[in-house]
Amino acid sequence: MSDAPPSPTHESGGEQSPRGSSSGAREQDRYLPIANISRIMKKALPPNGKIAKDAKDTMQECVSEFISFITSEASEKCQKEKRKTINGDDLLWAMATLGFEDYIEPLKVYLARYREAEGDTKGSARSGDGSATPDQVGLAGQNSQLVHQGSLNYIGLQVQPQHLVMPSMQSHE
Amino acid sequence: MEDSIGGSSSNDNNIIKEQDRLLPIANVGRLMKQILPQNAKISKEAKETMQECVSEFISFVTSEASEKCRKERRKTVNGDDICWALATLGFDDYAEPMRRKSRTKIQEASTNQNDLC
Repeated sequence: MSDAPPSPTHESGGEQSPRGSSSGAREQDRYLPIANISRIMKKALPPNGKIAKDAKDTMQECVSEFISFITSEASEKCQKEKRKTINGDDLLWAMATLGFEDYIEPLKVYLARYREAEGDTKGSARSGDGSATPDQVGLAGQNSQLVHQGSLNYIGLQVQPQHLVMPSMQSHE
Repeated sequence: MEDSIGGSSSNDNNIIKEQDRLLPIANVGRLMKQILPQNAKISKEAKETMQECVSEFISFVTSEASEKCRKERRKTVNGDDICWALATLGFDDYAEPMRRKSRTKIQEASTNQNDLC
């Protein structure tokens, strides 16, 4: 059995970054907490699975890169459209542009649900502010299937097709 | 306001589950903000969408790495497994820089060890 030695700092609680504390606050700004990342990783493993420290470090780097990658694409779009606020649709558009198509369907439903909940609390539905409609993002129509994978299943999205209509898709006539 | 979009009641159990499942929104927001120009803003729904996305990304990559370890009868997922999973899942642009960083870190660690001796 060629097991790597188990990481001594597995589920390490307060540990913020594997890269030493020399740059303090800057490290905290650059990376997400390694304990939280580790917890999410652990859920994807079998009960007897272990995660080496370098796996956590690598994932920590990756996650920061992933966020930067998508946010910068969404930001560029907003700049071109002379908008100051990035919203959920901009992120979906960026993901589609950057090849993360599989993420979009579940997230689209997530956003619709989110906006429904927000609308209920505020007493009014939120309308789009000129951001991409799901059609522009390359999303399928009302009968599209959810991509069931990973953690997005937790959201409890047993939705009927009509719930897939985003607020920005509805006609305002 | 009900933050967990699943529509479930926000009792303590659910709150704990949400904390386990998602990365802290303040940290996610801070990372996003660094990429934006000074005057730009991020809506709450954008932060929460990214929060979901990042969790999905971690699960997706880790599952693939875990499957590789299972086939090779290993219990511990290491950095190379993560890099392999990234490449397999089409994140080739990530995989190579991560491998390089990993090697650099190992070299630095061994150099530090030698300095101590």
